Amino acid sequence: MIPLSLSETTLPTVTTQAPDLDYWLLSPLLVVFAAGVIGVIVEAFVPAQRRYSIQTALAMVAVGVAFVLTLVQVGALPADSAGLTLAFATVVVDRPSLFFQGVILALALASLLLIAERRDGESAFTGQAAAVPGSEEERAHVLAGSQHTEVYPLVMFAVLGMQLFTAANDFLTMFIALEVMSLPLYLLCGLARRRRLFSQEAALKYFLLGAFSSAFFLFGIAMVYGYAGAVEFAAVRAAGSSGGLIDGGEPLLLIGIAMIGVGMLFKVGTVPFHNWKPDVYQGAPTPITALMASGTLVAAFGAMLRVFYVAFGTTVAQWRPMLWVVAILTMVVAAVIAVTQRDIKRLLAYSSVVHAGFILTAVVAANADGLTGAMFYLAAYGFTTVGAFAIVTLVRNPDNGAEAGDLTQWAGLGRTSPFLAASLGLFLLAFAGIPLTSGFIGKFAVFEAAVAAGATPLVVVGVLSSAVTAFFYVRIIVLMFFAEPAENAPRVLKPGILTGTTVGLGVAATLLLGILPGPVLEHVIPQPAAETSEAVAAEHTAADSLFAR
Amino acid sequence: MTPTTVVSAAALDAEPGLDAFGNDPWWIILIKALAVFVFLMLCVLMMIMADRKVMGRMQQRHGPNRFGPWGLLQSLADGVKLSLKEDLIPRTVDKVIYIAAPMIAAIPAFFAFSVIPVGPEVTMFGVETRLQLTDLPVAVLLVLATASLGVYGIVLAGWASRSPYPLLGGLRASAQVISYEIAMGLSFIAVFIYAGTLSTSGIVEAQQNIWFAVILFPSFVIYLITMIGETNRLPFDLPEGEGELVGGFMTEYSSMKFTMFFLAEYVNMVTVSAMSVTLFLGGYLAPPPITTFWPGANEGWWPALWWLIKFVCVMFLFVWVRGSLPRVRYDQLMKLGWKILIPIQLVWITAVAVIRVLNNQEYPGYVTAIVIGVFGLLVFLGLWAWSRAAAKAKAQEAAEHEAELRARRENPMYGGFPVPPMIAPHYGTSVLAEEPRYQPASAPKREEVSGA
Amino acid sequence: MELYTPIFVLGGIGAAFVIVSMIVGAIAGPKRYNRTKLQAYECGIEPTPQPVGGGRFTIKYYLTAMLFIVFDIEVIFLVPWAVHLDALGIFGLVVMILFLVNVSIAYAYEWRRGGLEWN
Repeated sequence: MIPLSLSETTLPTVTTQAPDLDYWLLSPLLVVFAAGVIGVIVEAFVPAQRRYSIQTALAMVAVGVAFVLTLVQVGALPADSAGLTLAFATVVVDRPSLFFQGVILALALASLLLIAERRDGESAFTGQAAAVPGSEEERAHVLAGSQHTEVYPLVMFAVLGMQLFTAANDFLTMFIALEVMSLPLYLLCGLARRRRLFSQEAALKYFLLGAFSSAFFLFGIAMVYGYAGAVEFAAVRAAGSSGGLIDGGEPLLLIGIAMIGVGMLFKVGTVPFHNWKPDVYQGAPTPITALMASGTLVAAFGAMLRVFYVAFGTTVAQWRPMLWVVAILTMVVAAVIAVTQRDIKRLLAYSSVVHAGFILTAVVAANADGLTGAMFYLAAYGFTTVGAFAIVTLVRNPDNGAEAGDLTQWAGLGRTSPFLAASLGLFLLAFAGIPLTSGFIGKFAVFEAAVAAGATPLVVVGVLSSAVTAFFYVRIIVLMFFAEPAENAPRVLKPGILTGTTVGLGVAATLLLGILPGPVLEHVIPQPAAETSEAVAAEHTAADSLFAR
Repeated sequence: MTPTTVVSAAALDAEPGLDAFGNDPWWIILIKALAVFVFLMLCVLMMIMADRKVMGRMQQRHGPNRFGPWGLLQSLADGVKLSLKEDLIPRTVDKVIYIAAPMIAAIPAFFAFSVIPVGPEVTMFGVETRLQLTDLPVAVLLVLATASLGVYGIVLAGWASRSPYPLLGGLRASAQVISYEIAMGLSFIAVFIYAGTLSTSGIVEAQQNIWFAVILFPSFVIYLITMIGETNRLPFDLPEGEGELVGGFMTEYSSMKFTMFFLAEYVNMVTVSAMSVTLFLGGYLAPPPITTFWPGANEGWWPALWWLIKFVCVMFLFVWVRGSLPRVRYDQLMKLGWKILIPIQLVWITAVAVIRVLNNQEYPGYVTAIVIGVFGLLVFLGLWAWSRAAAKAKAQEAAEHEAELRARRENPMYGGFPVPPMIAPHYGTSVLAEEPRYQPASAPKREEVSGA
Repeated sequence: MELYTPIFVLGGIGAAFVIVSMIVGAIAGPKRYNRTKLQAYECGIEPTPQPVGGGRFTIKYYLTAMLFIVFDIEVIFLVPWAVHLDALGIFGLVVMILFLVNVSIAYAYEWRRGGLEWN
């Protein structure tokens, strides 16, 4: 039995003093949450015909307001202090968390535009999710024009979870955020309008695997708690350098890191925890795929950076080998599998897996450059991928109106719809990391950080993997511009205002971040070097001081 | 001593009023436990008998009066008879769960009574002890927890029997019990607010000045309703509704296994009655006027008598309700639980908390009055909106019904109902076809129809 | 722990009684084999074969169970709050009213969508 030596201070104490909450600093989260709650009220009490307009307006205004509030808070943060904690130090407000929240909100707004898009009264979501696919009941609902406007509150809750995920300051808050983020997404995945069985299968898969990974995450928290006697990141960090609560407790820490790592890597979707991604991305309604591929990835990496840089910041040597292996596996395996894909959504899913591997190299770096590199990469990739999925929603099968996923159908698209094909080409080039696109700067940043941290072999693998992936991105571009149009050529829809805005946003962000990355890198992303270059002590890397406690 | 007990002991020290417990010698514990057990068994036997006799009197008949003086030993005889019956285990059942279910239903029922305070400190064989088996910082939660454990017995019995009636009965019973458990838990909240503790003896002591049944009257009424729903008694005995489900989840049980479900039901009745006495009726405290002229009424063994009187009154209420009210429909039952009791409770708890906090913060009386007024107004508005919506729905339903009737009168085929045509060649009759009742005036004259 | 011992003593006595009387019932009763006696009771008709695992039943019960969990957790949250309301003061009141409002909104949604209807 482990000799537990609990000190007097660990005895339970009854709080008799009323705590205080800083509602202003929490306001970006509260606005989104309030929009979700009001959305539920709207669902309950507003007649069905008027729900769509109210819900879309509510969701977009809320996300926009939250974005503005986030910007205001960035400006209001004291320049010298790195950040603040609030609500019993469960939530942290610092520059990285505000940056991630801002990016998530912007990406959520772009995805919301896709979600709100309707053509002839048809959205991307099923009219009645409870009806059996292909049944008479479903037909009746389709004819009656039923629609699930519950989608909007669900998206709001998911976005809230993403925001909180990057701002959590202890493992339990992080777990709650993880669930708040995941549960609505599981549901949303099963709501596709067409190919509903496929969509429901995707939702079930995502749910089961996600539940497993959550369980891993929770077990890991228990292990770390056993080691450190606390779930706060600061306390875990301190325990990491002082040797933990009990003698010989390192195995607990190692198992804990591994299990929390599994939970995180699942959400990020790296090999060998990537299996859900292709199926779910393909089955889910494409606007939701866009949200997952951008927002969830940003949130998951935001949380992962915080966990590994802050909580496990003093035990880098323990987790670095694990992430090395995962990063190499991800970049190699996913790139090879991606080459064989024939469906655009599956291909983008595998591409997302490969990109997760690239960002992992920045996590492995465990220094300030790694953090800024990952932040830039995530922002750049998020906008590009939303744009790419927006284009996927526009290319439809001529016969039944479902999305034309098969790549052979995309042949010759550059001749029939040049603007659309050019946009997609730009996005693909950004994915491949061609200069003058945002992807290049991002890759450069993360690889630079990794080299600086001595992970040169990882970077070599990364560059080789980039070359492989560039092959299949360029293949699509060649297919679109230099091949004859296919016999079953798809029907390309004219982008509405909403989808058009999303595509435009993606193109603009990709070009802007690619051609003029300077302003963003200097002003938007928190600069560790300027603030802490003198304060880099032996124990504290610059990245640590970024994440304040 | 292991560190964990250090923690729990230290945590308990923070909770006032539990010093009197946990230091009895082992033989006192045993005596008290045995006394509680015997009391429970006696209560069950007497309750079954009283049930039948009082019901009999209410229905102008005698009830059992053959066995023992005034038929007092009737239920004992029934018990012996049941144990001598054949113990059937149907071939299709899931044997392990089938046998375990009555135990799961009956055993937790005994736990709950251990925290019921029957009296204050007394001297028992030279030892100072309280007339209560034990008390916990979370005593009321223990009662709720054991009540929920009993649901497992019911639902597993229904499931393990592999037969339609028990399955439906078990499902209904568990749905009903969990529905009423929420309202029951909510009715405790107001008591906790005023008592400031979860320990049962502390709650009783908090009622020295006035019973909670008086100041928290809505909670008390709702508790009484949920108490009957929770124990599956008439008018809420749907799970065993003989007319529709034979014996409900007990259909496939016989002999002592059947007896155990019966026992569990009656022990649960005893427990919930004792809880109502503890939480709302001042527990063992003497009824208010008595203490004014007899100061010693709350000392020594007398409180046990007050407790018993209150307890018997609540038990009588069970029989009284059973004798007076008809069984409700299942949808009415669930509607009462979910749509009436829970909203009322939520509003009531909020009101109690607001008033309590305002009083504590020493706001002037008119603020409290305004708050009460606002609450009253909100409740009134809510009720008004609800009744209007209900009336509207009713009117709409009536209109739809009317329209359907009219449509059916005008067209017998309305709604796809298979009505044979008035005339058809294959009818094969030589008599004149009956004239259609709604023959259009311009229709040609009908010809004689002949077979073949 | 001393506080909990008596509960287990009483529970032990109860459990012993239950188990002993069930064994007595199994031994004391007569055993007369009859094929129909061992069939599930369905008012005398041939019993319907029951699928393993209980088969399918209406989704209403699942809905009720899920709603029960939500509300039971709500009640459990209310309990410690109620006990310490005097200490928590206005802050506790405001926070709990917000919580209750949130739960009530979900409740209203379920009500309006017919999740509470039985027929």
